[in-house]
Amino acid sequence: MRTLLIIPFILFFSACTQEQPKPNKPLTEEEKKFTFSPAGQLVPAKSGQGRNGDNYIYAPGIRFPIESAPAYLNSQVYGIGGLYGARGSLCNEKNYQYPWHDNYCEKRRWGMPLCSGGKGHQGVDIRTATCEKNKYYAVAVEDGIITYIGKYTVKLRGKSGRTYRYLHLDSPSVLVKKGEKVNRGDRLGLVSNNMGSTKTSIHLHFDIKETIKINGKSTKVYVPPYTSLVDAYKRLLRGNP
Amino acid sequence: MRRLLILPLLFGILSADSGILDIKWPKPNAKHLKPSTPYPKVLTEGIKDVRLPVYIPNSYAYIKNMVVIADKNFYTISFPFKGATVTISGDRTYQESVSNKQEFKAILKAIPPVTFQQEEGIMTAEFNRHGVNYSMEIECDKPQRDKRCTDTKLIKELYSRLIMVGGHP
Repeated sequence: MRTLLIIPFILFFSACTQEQPKPNKPLTEEEKKFTFSPAGQLVPAKSGQGRNGDNYIYAPGIRFPIESAPAYLNSQVYGIGGLYGARGSLCNEKNYQYPWHDNYCEKRRWGMPLCSGGKGHQGVDIRTATCEKNKYYAVAVEDGIITYIGKYTVKLRGKSGRTYRYLHLDSPSVLVKKGEKVNRGDRLGLVSNNMGSTKTSIHLHFDIKETIKINGKSTKVYVPPYTSLVDAYKRLLRGNP
Repeated sequence: MRRLLILPLLFGILSADSGILDIKWPKPNAKHLKPSTPYPKVLTEGIKDVRLPVYIPNSYAYIKNMVVIADKNFYTISFPFKGATVTISGDRTYQESVSNKQEFKAILKAIPPVTFQQEEGIMTAEFNRHGVNYSMEIECDKPQRDKRCTDTKLIKELYSRLIMVGGHP
C-alpha cells in the first residue's frame, strides 16, 4: 500500500527534474552551407573504392583537427591541379567548396587492410579555409602526449590510446615538443605544404591509428576518420568544438 | 575480392570496448637485458615503468641522444639518423574489440606477420610480437630521394636487429 502511495510522488519528481529541451540555436551561415557526401563515397569514382556504408565513428568526441572553419575535406591528388586531377591551379575555388568527399581509401600503393582491394590512403586530406600556407592552426584532437615530431610529421597519442598523425605542418611553426602533454584544442602548428624537400599542396593529412582486438589477437590499423571528422566539424560549426 | 566480401560483415560488430592486451612474455635474454656496456640512462630511465617488451635495433640501443616517451602501456623511442629519424613504438592497449570470430580471422590472416612499406614518404615496419603491436618508421628529410625511404633494405635490416632491452610484466 505504501509503495502505491510513493509512486505518484516519484512520477511528479521525475516530471519536475526532466530536462526541458533547449530551443534550437538557429543555424549559422556556415552550417547551412556545409554538406558532405556519404562515408566511403570517393570522388571522382576512379580515385578508388571506399568503405561504403561504414558510418561507425571510430574516434568519438574528437575535436576537429583544424582550429577554425571553414575547412574542406577532399582529394588533393584527384582535385583540380592535383597529380591525377583536372588541369588548373591547386588554389582553384572549386577545391575550396563543400560537399566534403571521403578519401580514406583513395588509391595508393600501401597496404590498408580495411580498404577493399587492401590498399588505400590511410587518412584524409583537409584543405584550410583559403589556399594560404602558414595561416591556419592544426590543433590537438584530444588530450594526450606528443610522441613524435619529424621533418613534416607530428604525432599525438591521445588518452584513448589512439595515435593521430598530422602531416605537412610548417616545421618552424610547430609549437609543441616531443614528450609534451597537450590538451584538446591546443595549437600544434600551422598547416602548410611541407613534405621535407618535396613540396605538396597546402593541406593537412590527418589519420587515426588504433588497435582492434579480435578474439585474443590484435592488429593496429589506420581506421576511417571521415565520420569522426564530420561529427567533429558539426560541433565546431555549432560553436561547441 | 575476399576482402570485399568481408567488409560488409565488419560493420556493426565493432564495439568501442577498450582495454589492455594479454602479453605472452618471451624468455628474457640476459645478454640483452644486462649488456656488458650499460645502456644509456635516457633509455633505462625512460622505459623503467613500461609493462611490455621493449625492442630496439641492437646497435642503436646505445645512442645517447635518443628520445624516449613512455608510460606503462606504450613506448616510443626515436633517434636521429643523418638526415632521417628512426622511431620504434610498442603499445599494449586496444581501442575496439570484435567478437565475431570468423570474419576477423580472415582479416587477421590477410595481414602478414610483418609488413614493410612506404607510406606518405615514410618507410614503415609493422609487426606483432607476444600479443603486442609494434611499429618502426624511418622519416627522411628528402623522402623521395633518400633510398632509406624509397627502398625497404634499411628497414628490413633494422627489423632483423631488434633486441629486447627492457619492459616487465
